[in-house]
Amino acid sequence: MNWRTPARIFLIPVVSILLVFLVWDLIIRIFNVEPFVAPSPGEALGALRDNWSILWPLAIETIRETAYGFVLGAVLGFVLAVAMAQTRIVQGLVYPVLITSQAVPIIAIAAPLVILLGFGIWPKIVIVAWIVFFPVAVSVLGGLANVDDDLLKLAHVMGGTRSRVFFKIRLPATVSPLYSGLKIGATYAVTGAIIGELVASTGSSLAGFQRTANSSLDTPAVWGTTILMTAIGIGWFLLVVAIERLTTPWRTRSTVRRLPYRRHHD
Amino acid sequence: MTVDTPKLWVEGAHKTFEGRTALAPSTLSLQPGEFVSLVGPSGCGKSTLFNLVSGLLRPDDGRIEIDGVDVTGQSGHVGYMLQKDLLVPWRSVVDNITLGAALTRGVTKADRAQAIDFARRYGLGDFLDHYPHALSGGMRQRVALMRTLATNHDLLLLDEPFGALDSQTRLEMQQWLLKVWAETQRTVLFVTHDVDESIFLSDRILVMSPRPGRIVSELVVNLPRPRTLQQMTEPDFIAVKRQILDLLHGTAAV
Repeated sequence: MNWRTPARIFLIPVVSILLVFLVWDLIIRIFNVEPFVAPSPGEALGALRDNWSILWPLAIETIRETAYGFVLGAVLGFVLAVAMAQTRIVQGLVYPVLITSQAVPIIAIAAPLVILLGFGIWPKIVIVAWIVFFPVAVSVLGGLANVDDDLLKLAHVMGGTRSRVFFKIRLPATVSPLYSGLKIGATYAVTGAIIGELVASTGSSLAGFQRTANSSLDTPAVWGTTILMTAIGIGWFLLVVAIERLTTPWRTRSTVRRLPYRRHHD
Repeated sequence: MTVDTPKLWVEGAHKTFEGRTALAPSTLSLQPGEFVSLVGPSGCGKSTLFNLVSGLLRPDDGRIEIDGVDVTGQSGHVGYMLQKDLLVPWRSVVDNITLGAALTRGVTKADRAQAIDFARRYGLGDFLDHYPHALSGGMRQRVALMRTLATNHDLLLLDEPFGALDSQTRLEMQQWLLKVWAETQRTVLFVTHDVDESIFLSDRILVMSPRPGRIVSELVVNLPRPRTLQQMTEPDFIAVKRQILDLLHGTAAV
């Protein structure tokens, strides 16, 4: 059996998610749980559908916060890692700050950030970037440190220049670890945005909607909103995976993908 | 430059690491187009000698000349290949062959044309656009040798290039290497643990010994070329092998 065919790549995760919903549904039915305590998946999705016209614009806002924060965090993490890899002094100075930044409880700094940055989109972007930059920096730094010493020796024997060795060997070697960092970041990004919304939203946001639903004991809507938030995170993850497959063809293909422009280019 | 200028001339080069002599003062000379092997146990200074000639290390004393020019401590003058193929996973076969150009001055059309020509001539014609992970170990070593040739240095340093291959593939690669060497007229300094391999390939064999690492003996292999696998079981071949084994392990151990 070939497990790598596209049908299977998509089918198996879908089946596994459906199984989770099935188990959830069975638990609700077997223990006869009231909807206001915990809804079945059908009730949660129903509440999601009923509130869709309100939720969709709020979801767009959350998507924007995560997108900007994600890009900012990824760029910051990447640049930091490359800078740290250049000299031991920079690494020695930056690494403790890196670790400390992650030891700070995000919830605790969310409120001060709102005082600093206002109630707009900025505190959310900063929180998302704060969460995303760390896995990116750590994995890219690892990628730069793990370049085969013998390959660098070979490059030296060949008479390779410092800048060319950096751009042709060191930097491309960070691509695979970069994607590992981005995938971790993608799943955490939504958490960051929701924390920001909880603390900083005066008016409408997914987190605000959920809080209102919660206080009016509209539990199915609370769960439905959670499903929507989760779906946004999964969406980011899938986007990263898709970009990864497109930009690292050597990991999945046996030959170079020939694009028309390349033929002219070469 | 006279005809007598050796391709490689190493004079009294030696190297110590933290007081331990890795290579005692050594002198050797390779004529243009010669195939010379270094054999010896671990710690005999083969790698140190290689690193000195390639310019990765600077000798404590002594000098290294290529074509009569002093290159002591300088890199960028030799082709260099290791047991690990060190192919770059994100570059195709052709792009791996042109790696030397990419790292020094940028790949030109001529570099690509030469790479494609090498690949086609030496059994990689169907794999020009393949990524390294899609190739077998033997094929990968072929690409690595083509990459070494494409740096266009006359002197090639090959450090156990077939050490990780199975014996069947290794025999094929040895014959293939002799063909490439004969056609491209390069000078080869070859490191191996495999005595049969050194005899089959070489014009001369330098036997090395550890503590301190040094060259203890030199043997000329007078077997006619082109070499064939049949020669490996003939008395002349066996006689050379016996000599080397005596030098490496002492007469009693054979």
